[in-house]
Amino acid sequence: MEMNLEGVTPFEEEELKRNVLTTNLDQIKAWTRSNSMWPLSFGLACCAIEMMSTGGAHYDFDRFGVIFRASPRQADVMIVAGTVTKKMAPLLRRLYDQMPEPKWVIAMGSCATAGGPYVKSYAVVKGVDQVVPVDVYIPGCPPNPAALIYGVIKLQEKIKYEAKHGKRVFHT
Amino acid sequence: MNPVLVMGPILLLFVVLGFVTMAILFERKVIGWIQMRPGPNRVGPWGILQTVADVLKLLIKEDIIPSKADKPLFKLAPAIAFIPAFAVLAVIPFTESLQFSQFAVGILYYLAVSSITIIGILMGGWASNNKYALLGAMRSAAQMISYEIPLVMSVVGIILSVGSLNLVEIVEAQKQVWFIFPQFLGFAVFFIASLSELNRTPFDLPEAESELVAGYHVEYTGFRFAFFMLSEYVYVFAMASLTTVLFLGGWNAPFGLTMIPGIVWFVLKFLLIVFSLFWIRATMPRVRVDQLMEFAWKVLLPVALFNILLTAVLQEVPYLDFLYRL
Amino acid sequence: MLRTEEMLLNVGPQHPSTHGVLRLVVKIDGERIVEVEPVIGYLHRGTEKLAEDLNYTQIIPYTDRMDYLSAMTNNYALVHAVEKMMGLEIPERADYLRVIVMELNRIASHLVWMGTYLLDIGAMSPFLYAFRDREQILSLFNELCGARLTYNYMRVGGVKWDAPPGWIEKADAFVDYLLPQMDEYHGLITGNEIFVRRTKGIGIVSQELAIQYALSGANLRVSGSDWDLRKKEPYSLYDRFQFDVPVGKNGDLYDKYLCRMQEIVESLKIVKQAIDQFPEKGTIMGKVPRVLRVPEGEIYTGIESPRGELGCHIVSKGKDKPWRLKFRRPSFYNLQILPTLLVGESISNLVAILGGIDIVLGEVDC
Repeated sequence: MEMNLEGVTPFEEEELKRNVLTTNLDQIKAWTRSNSMWPLSFGLACCAIEMMSTGGAHYDFDRFGVIFRASPRQADVMIVAGTVTKKMAPLLRRLYDQMPEPKWVIAMGSCATAGGPYVKSYAVVKGVDQVVPVDVYIPGCPPNPAALIYGVIKLQEKIKYEAKHGKRVFHT
Repeated sequence: MNPVLVMGPILLLFVVLGFVTMAILFERKVIGWIQMRPGPNRVGPWGILQTVADVLKLLIKEDIIPSKADKPLFKLAPAIAFIPAFAVLAVIPFTESLQFSQFAVGILYYLAVSSITIIGILMGGWASNNKYALLGAMRSAAQMISYEIPLVMSVVGIILSVGSLNLVEIVEAQKQVWFIFPQFLGFAVFFIASLSELNRTPFDLPEAESELVAGYHVEYTGFRFAFFMLSEYVYVFAMASLTTVLFLGGWNAPFGLTMIPGIVWFVLKFLLIVFSLFWIRATMPRVRVDQLMEFAWKVLLPVALFNILLTAVLQEVPYLDFLYRL
Repeated sequence: MLRTEEMLLNVGPQHPSTHGVLRLVVKIDGERIVEVEPVIGYLHRGTEKLAEDLNYTQIIPYTDRMDYLSAMTNNYALVHAVEKMMGLEIPERADYLRVIVMELNRIASHLVWMGTYLLDIGAMSPFLYAFRDREQILSLFNELCGARLTYNYMRVGGVKWDAPPGWIEKADAFVDYLLPQMDEYHGLITGNEIFVRRTKGIGIVSQELAIQYALSGANLRVSGSDWDLRKKEPYSLYDRFQFDVPVGKNGDLYDKYLCRMQEIVESLKIVKQAIDQFPEKGTIMGKVPRVLRVPEGEIYTGIESPRGELGCHIVSKGKDKPWRLKFRRPSFYNLQILPTLLVGESISNLVAILGGIDIVLGEVDC
């Protein structure tokens, strides 16, 4: 349920906010979605090892209800963990298209964010946001598992915030 | 019409759904503890709402039907897999009074109806038009049909002893001795075969994640996938109940502790079985597909047949026949 | 006779058990594999080309990201080649630190292999136990150089950071912790009937075949050859330590597993000896010119990484940057045998055999 708030007068917006039932339903939806984010088990490079560590006993992703699904059809979040090469980018886009709505993307590490140390390479895509829309960027090379958990929590906050206020959160 | 007969099944439906949500959480918790991590603990107190969130999320997710899929079959498959899972619960007696159908051929009904699920799985795998799904479904069909035979054969020993296919009479016959002791071979075969029927580790080949990505439900999204997942856990409920009824004496109290109500005993025994299923899942690797078939036909079936022979012979042996002729 | 049709199955690049972005085009007949063609290059980042524009210190972080499971060893491959070309003296303390971190990293790498391999075979728990123990090594490294995975620790002429106070004791305590832990792994996995039946007699590599395909590391040793560069051509301080090279008998996956598990124990032995001999005082950087100009010429040096012989070939024209830098990546060479091994196997052996090779895609594609 996405709201288009362009061209809405302030009066209408107040009217919309008074519509308690839809807001609550949206919030319930956001609660279920944010508390059950199943990432696609999709490791590309070094960051994938840290992603696996996050699933390991020490950090335990399962606490947040995050379990890795192998099939894109059953995943909600795509954690792009590693360098996206020009050979891999079309496949990454296809995997993203195979995921059901609503879906989110986390760009993990500096390679996925902007090319990282390989920004000068002839074979590397300079940031996964050239291929798929990204919701959360996590810096680091590779990011600490705690940073990945923080990124996931930020995404949960984003989902809940959008449902509560009916606005999309964009990065500037 | 008897109001109990109308309301009871609806109540049971909710009990089972409640069990399923708790079972998935319990599984994740138990496996978590075995692996030295806390398991889900952020959604609700102690993570108790985790599965609720998961299931609700799946229900409101986009429903994708692949364009190359066989659409009617693709839509039908989850229902065909799901309905028998509930239908089999009708014959299981939970206590002397809490039972929905006094069916004369209870066991036969259970085993027959539960095989319908295979058709649903096969249909889903075929209709998805995906190679992994097809391989998963084929494996699943081969596996479940092969293991159905030792499963049935292992129960024959009990049927011989009791002289009835009625599940209530089978429980009544276990007043003195539970069948797990005289029919230990039968129990071993039954338990292993039921692990396989439930597609649980070490026999979780149809959905072997490392080989077939997700097996037969690789193309299923949202609520259709939820149906497959739920039917799997409803079968855990049904199979654990059946094991309790057949081998652990149903609602009969051990050591003459009859002041504790039968339903408590039933639930305790039932939970023990469910726990063992999860325990095995956390411990065992997966068997290979050809070894799986070999195991069913070369080990389990002969053992089950031997068990039948043993039961028939021991029925005639003085001093031992009280265990086998009830 | 039933008429059967062959089917093309794409395994990867996104598949849970290809360990990254390897793609296998598999032709199957039922569940039997007729032909396999590995397609690589999904992680090709052009490290070697990038290195031509960087000076030698700047290349070190790129080696980290090649074989990200044993970044320390990769660091060493480069600095060792440069040091040998320049004829530098390494302080003893730095050398001991290098050996300790390399061997700890070997243990960490083998633990990851063991965990993911068991995950491929279908057992969940060993993966988590392995990562729990690996986590301790990572915190040791984190304390030493501030990174968990990509360390950038070694420099030409020594190491960047000295061991903080108490670090050596912690490493020692870890060795004492992991040795009994190995028995626990053996208790959980080694005797498991299902595991044994899935790995024994599968994916057999004969010694002849292994040498023909230029395999190295555990993939070669499993066939009975005791080729280990730490013993055969000792570099660093490896001639000072007592350790054995575990070799296999049958060349199958089970032996590969046992070999790698035994290598962990041998590495622990080396770490223990290195800690005992560790010099109390000393510098960690040798005398190195401010700008590293490697004399004109070529060099090839090979070291034993957890996956096999990791070679570094530098062609220098006397500048501060290499004219050409080439790594001999063991995973890349070990992967070549896969099509030969897989033909005729069933598809459920595919993941077991692929996992047994122990590839890291960052290293295959470089």
